[in-house]
Amino acid sequence: MSAAGGFRALAAALTATAVLHAAAPPAVHAQSTPGERLPVHEITLANGMRFLILPRPSAPTVSFVVEFGVGSVNEHLGITGIAHLLEHLLFKGTTTIGTRDLAAERRLFALMDAAHDTLLGVRGRIRPDSAELARLRSRIRALEDSARTFVVSNEFDRILSASGAQGLNATTTAESTYYFVELPSNRAELWFAMEADRMRNPVFREFYTERDVVAEERRMRVETSPGGLLYEAHLAAAYTMHPYGVPVIGYMSDIQTLSRRTVEAYYRRYYAPANAVVAIVGDVDVERTARWARSYFEQIPRGATPPPVLAREPLQKGERRVEVVFDAEPQLRIGWHVPDVFDDDAPAVAVLSTLLTGGRTSRLYHRLVEEDRVAASVFSSTGPGSRYPQLFQIDATPVAPHTTTEVEDAVYQALAELTAEGPSEAEIERVRNRIAAASVRRLQSNLGLAFQLAESTTLYGDWRATFRLSSRLRAVTPADVERVLRRYFIRENRTVAVLTRGDPEGHR
Amino acid sequence: MRARVRGCGWRRAGRPLRAALALAVLAPAGPVRRAVAQEARVGRDAVERITFPPLSFHAPTPEHRKVEGVDVLYLRDAAVPLTTVFARFKGGYARFPREQYAAGMALPSLLRYGGTRTLTPDSVDKVLEYYAIQTSFGGGGEAVSASLNTLSEHLPRALDLFGRMLGEPRFDTAQVQMWRLRELESVRRRSDDPQRLAFSEFNRLMFGDHPVGWEMTPADVAPGHPGPEVLRTLHRRIVCRDHLILGVTSDGAWHDVAALLGDLVARIQPCGDSLPASPIPRIRARPGVYVIPRTLKQSVVVMAHPAGVRLSQSRDYFASRIGNLILGSGGFSSRILSRVRTEKGYAYSASSLWTTPRRYDGLIGAITRTRPEKVVPAVRSILDIMREMTREPPSREEVRHAIDETVNSFVFNFDTPARVVSRRMFYLAQDMPADWLERYVRGIERVGPSDVLGVFHRNLRPAEMTILVLGDTTRIGREALETLGPVQVWPVERGR
Repeated sequence: MSAAGGFRALAAALTATAVLHAAAPPAVHAQSTPGERLPVHEITLANGMRFLILPRPSAPTVSFVVEFGVGSVNEHLGITGIAHLLEHLLFKGTTTIGTRDLAAERRLFALMDAAHDTLLGVRGRIRPDSAELARLRSRIRALEDSARTFVVSNEFDRILSASGAQGLNATTTAESTYYFVELPSNRAELWFAMEADRMRNPVFREFYTERDVVAEERRMRVETSPGGLLYEAHLAAAYTMHPYGVPVIGYMSDIQTLSRRTVEAYYRRYYAPANAVVAIVGDVDVERTARWARSYFEQIPRGATPPPVLAREPLQKGERRVEVVFDAEPQLRIGWHVPDVFDDDAPAVAVLSTLLTGGRTSRLYHRLVEEDRVAASVFSSTGPGSRYPQLFQIDATPVAPHTTTEVEDAVYQALAELTAEGPSEAEIERVRNRIAAASVRRLQSNLGLAFQLAESTTLYGDWRATFRLSSRLRAVTPADVERVLRRYFIRENRTVAVLTRGDPEGHR
Repeated sequence: MRARVRGCGWRRAGRPLRAALALAVLAPAGPVRRAVAQEARVGRDAVERITFPPLSFHAPTPEHRKVEGVDVLYLRDAAVPLTTVFARFKGGYARFPREQYAAGMALPSLLRYGGTRTLTPDSVDKVLEYYAIQTSFGGGGEAVSASLNTLSEHLPRALDLFGRMLGEPRFDTAQVQMWRLRELESVRRRSDDPQRLAFSEFNRLMFGDHPVGWEMTPADVAPGHPGPEVLRTLHRRIVCRDHLILGVTSDGAWHDVAALLGDLVARIQPCGDSLPASPIPRIRARPGVYVIPRTLKQSVVVMAHPAGVRLSQSRDYFASRIGNLILGSGGFSSRILSRVRTEKGYAYSASSLWTTPRRYDGLIGAITRTRPEKVVPAVRSILDIMREMTREPPSREEVRHAIDETVNSFVFNFDTPARVVSRRMFYLAQDMPADWLERYVRGIERVGPSDVLGVFHRNLRPAEMTILVLGDTTRIGREALETLGPVQVWPVERGR
């Protein structure tokens, strides 16, 4: 981010025109992957907002993805879940969409926000007065109901869906928030008008009700989901200091106390053009699309550069174990700290993941599920983000009567064998073939490509970078895999989370 | 719905600085160059002023061919060097007795994992993974489906293997045993997911001992079950040539693909006995509240009663589709989500359901999840909306919106060749006209508010809902639940 950002500032100073105009796809090396040869046109507006336009005229549809470089790593205790709450609130309309009388709405916002400030004060007492809390909640609810008489609910959504929009949605991750939709190509300009309005003039109406909705989402994804509970506990144990340990959806007490004022300030800090990348893939005319990009977005103020994430997870000095008790069958997660995706070891770690659990002939699947029959399933992944040192995670479900201990032992045994003997050349070749096929398959979906272009640009400053990874992955050798196994997959560097059956409320 | 995902994956650094320099150097001169763009207006007025040109679009149509008497729908797709082959066989577990349910469920999995006459399961896996061939095998009460996706350069190898997997399965004993153990574990874990448990129990409650209501039990997968004989019998009766429809999207020419398909079809035997008909369900129509007590922070609610509208070209059918969009299947434009989520904040998810099978009655109702204290208020809100739908026609704007949504999104039915082919295969299998999609849109465009009121008036009876609530009955409140109807505990089929 810093290198690309630095260049953008320099380029803007040297020549205003150069960065204003669509760049024709440059010639690429003959050995490049199919993805690198795509005719992607790049535009950077004067305010720093980046657009990637890929014409693909197979069907008259177009996919839009806008990625803001903000997620749960840009949060701290007290405001966890704020990026995700904003993901919801940005569908609430603007100063003109979703309202019948903005001034009347805002007068009521002030009253309900004042009541909420009072409520937070009461809630912060050692022994809060529950009757007073109930009265304040009731007042906020009544005020929001009054404001609703001036609201045209879900109008932002309705305008797009009436135009045939598909998949209108958004998603928040540790490092990014994505807003995406697909439209018939003759209605592409609508996206520019709607998205530019939302970026410039959002109104966070129906705020307190939407907070309740997010609380329900947390109950669904985490508090009544054994897998969700275990995942949250695992990351919290593995990351003692880095915000990767914080759940994207936020902690319940934070969700229930975030204020509109805090959310507005956060929005101004992180949702500026210079922190946004737009990818547009489908049946589009490049010149016209570039013209819309400029006319709708270029006058939006650049905004301040978001503050960097400075937290660094200290070296782990010993195995950590965490248990979650819940009324469900047992599950197991094991994690080891591994480097970020920019590190030279990252390709070998990725190949290791495929060697271990990619397909039925993979090492761990074959051993745990087919041979020993101690597990019903086993998966591996790296995450929860990409930019900072990650956690390599294995999650497995034992088959009764086998226990999580047996599964855990079998995982360590398989890893020890792989470390000792190294992967065979045939195993590595199988992984290479998977990578080659995947590099073609990923070209099939316009929306998938739009996500990839946006992600690659946000993360690496170059849309081709993720396509180039195929070459880096194919160059990984058995010795590389053996090296990362010895370096990272050691007892002192691992965190184990186990879900065991019991009454989670039993100790109360 | 707005959704959250876990970010994960691998990525490797590129050279951002060099790439950015290349961007500046390569920026061409051209007619669009100017220092400052003229600003476009935004906001409601601006949106309303945008005019949309007509969509120029010719829907791709698959060629309908025959290979050895088997219907093949073929669509050339030169965009990527990939070939996808779909196979759909008429017939599934619903055509056979309950004792053969496990075998019917196991059949698609064991076609994939059980090896072939000449290849062990492990050998099949190795070939598939070496050539990076993707396969998918699945099935339901009425069909068994399989597909493969391969780089076209590997198509001969891939189709040869696909034919052996479909036509010459080994049903390897060890793999059958593994399927049994995995299924048993799945049964054991059924209660871990509140929504999965609520949906399956609701089906059992409404459909009883009909295939729709069947749920796997430990007895179904007792040691030795399913046995090899019943697997072979079901394979012989379902996975046979006369039940097969193929679909292909490929960058390859038909002539080249056809020869390979001929070899595939030759490995699949002609059908012998005709398939028995699947039974017509008798759906429970006794209203009341059925509770599954669970100490959870969020409850699951499913409610429905039988509804007589069936998939057809009738006015009621098209009105039911528009009506369902307005009631609760149209996301944020629908009444249920608008009231239960946007207005009340009771739930993250809330929607209606209205199934319209071709041969028998479906269900009309709703689904939501909410905290215990809001279960009864949420159900009341939904029932209120339903009553409104039976008494007053929807506004013209609501109907217009639902029609616009359907008509304007029509092109997305053609956004990938695979989607075009698989949909046409479904129409062919269901004996529906090939232009059903066009007929559907024409039918939808004719629906008016009075049609919607009429179809709700005739089919929706809020007072007759069977309501299943899975959750913390202490916090929900027994007395509160009783205001919705007579309450009884619904005994869950135990997996352990």
